Amino acid sequence: MTSTPVIDVERLDLKYGDFHAVKDLSFQVRRGEFYALLGTNGAGKTSTLETIEGHRVPTSGAVRVLDQSPRNRAAVRPRMGIMLQESGFSPDLTVRESIGLIGALTRRQDRLQRVLSIVDLTSKAGTKVSQLSGGEKRRLDFATAVWGTPELVFLDEPTTGLDIQSRDALWDAVDKLREDGSTIVLTTHYLEEAQQRADRIGLMHRGTFHQEGTVAELTRTLPAVIQFRLPGTSPALPLPGRRESGGTFLIETHQLQKDLFVLLRWAQDNAIELRELAAGPTRLDDVFRAINNH
Amino acid sequence: MLSIARSELIQIFRNRSVLITSFVIPIAVCAFFLYQHELFAQVGSLGYIAGIVMFTVCAFGLYSTVVTTLASRRQNLFLKRLRSTAAADAQILVGLVLPVTVIALIQVAAIMTVLGVVAGGPENAGLLVVAVLVTVAMMIGLGLATAGVTNSPEHAQVTILPVTLGVIAVTTWVGLTGTEDLAMLKRLLPGGAATELVMNAWNGGVALSDSLLLLAPTLAWVAIAVTLATRYFRWDPRAASDQRLAIARRMRRSALRDR
Repeated sequence: MTSTPVIDVERLDLKYGDFHAVKDLSFQVRRGEFYALLGTNGAGKTSTLETIEGHRVPTSGAVRVLDQSPRNRAAVRPRMGIMLQESGFSPDLTVRESIGLIGALTRRQDRLQRVLSIVDLTSKAGTKVSQLSGGEKRRLDFATAVWGTPELVFLDEPTTGLDIQSRDALWDAVDKLREDGSTIVLTTHYLEEAQQRADRIGLMHRGTFHQEGTVAELTRTLPAVIQFRLPGTSPALPLPGRRESGGTFLIETHQLQKDLFVLLRWAQDNAIELRELAAGPTRLDDVFRAINNH
Repeated sequence: MLSIARSELIQIFRNRSVLITSFVIPIAVCAFFLYQHELFAQVGSLGYIAGIVMFTVCAFGLYSTVVTTLASRRQNLFLKRLRSTAAADAQILVGLVLPVTVIALIQVAAIMTVLGVVAGGPENAGLLVVAVLVTVAMMIGLGLATAGVTNSPEHAQVTILPVTLGVIAVTTWVGLTGTEDLAMLKRLLPGGAATELVMNAWNGGVALSDSLLLLAPTLAWVAIAVTLATRYFRWDPRAASDQRLAIARRMRRSALRDR
């Protein structure tokens, strides 16, 4: 991976009337990187994504994609694949015609059979879009985005409506794209997908970044949690914790392994059974909850 | 552009209701005018028949299909999908309106040819061709502008009425009463000068220089239509922007409450 920025956003501002949707946002995506743009509802991530894709004009600030203005479609779009949040295919065209049309307009070369097999729509090639299920439409959308293996691929909620088998197939295809050197920009509400795959994550809240970094960097700021229930009476806990209304004890820690060991030894020494014991590192979900409670 | 036009043609022929309302019905109306050409020539002129069939095809075939098609393609995000490719906006628009424009031109040419065969041809075919082309340009421009204020194909059934009924009314008014009275008003109305131009081309008897002056109001309407289209045409569904603004307002209210 090199440090050449494929996407360079500098002090982006976007307003709808008097509403400030995106405020002073700056970030870069490097070549070959898997970057996830996540955020709470209404955080401004779709507006940001649409500006980077060239669908919107920034109110102020600069956006460069593949060293070009994203509004320069003739220069940028042949190198970029876009999977929109909603399908946008004509219901009267077949799968074959839809992929053929969008493929031709991207000005990239590919084989229809290859792309159809990636998204498992070979048997549906002659089916009209109006007769496809929601999941099949998402796969069709993905097919047009990866046509010709573009350098940069935008995936906007790619797995919404997909069954588990189709999700796995889609992520396998994304892995293959990355092996071929493509840069991936993802937005999703499935945080575990971003947590598992993204090199870096930009977490948006109220129009700007709340945090940006690797999963480890984002989760490092919040403590891990050890939770358990105790039988009737027990001596004082060896660590500071609190009792929730349901009777569950919570211990927050930045040293999970060490504190868990202390707790287990205390339980062993006092012959106490820690019921429903659960402990784990901080997840993106926890970071999101923290943002919402902020 | 041609791949967009080809896909558009496929969609037109697969959509039976568009095929019937936009192409079969105008042809049926024109066939009635041809069948009754002696009667209409008596109350107006052959030039009037040429004018009314041209505007029947251009208003109910070309204009209404442009509005309905663009509203529909925008509503189902097909326009946004096309704009996600390397195609330029102009290429997309030309690709979308090209098939319906070619179909309309073929229809007008065929109907006028039949009229010429059964009732006698135009005095100045060249002028007639110019009149038809300028009218087609005007109707496409008005179609793009109207599509900008049309939210859906259903909404198009309402938004197309002023222009479709308006140009047919103006054509009938000019065709049946001529331009001896209220000449300026009739020529400035959309379709008025174009109708007179078609009548002059078909009936003859007017100096070419006088007829060519009639191009000015029609070209002005083309310019007005293109200006309106540039101002009002939208690529994204209005609902989406409205929804976003509504969310924005809700968030602002919520932020104010929190404060």
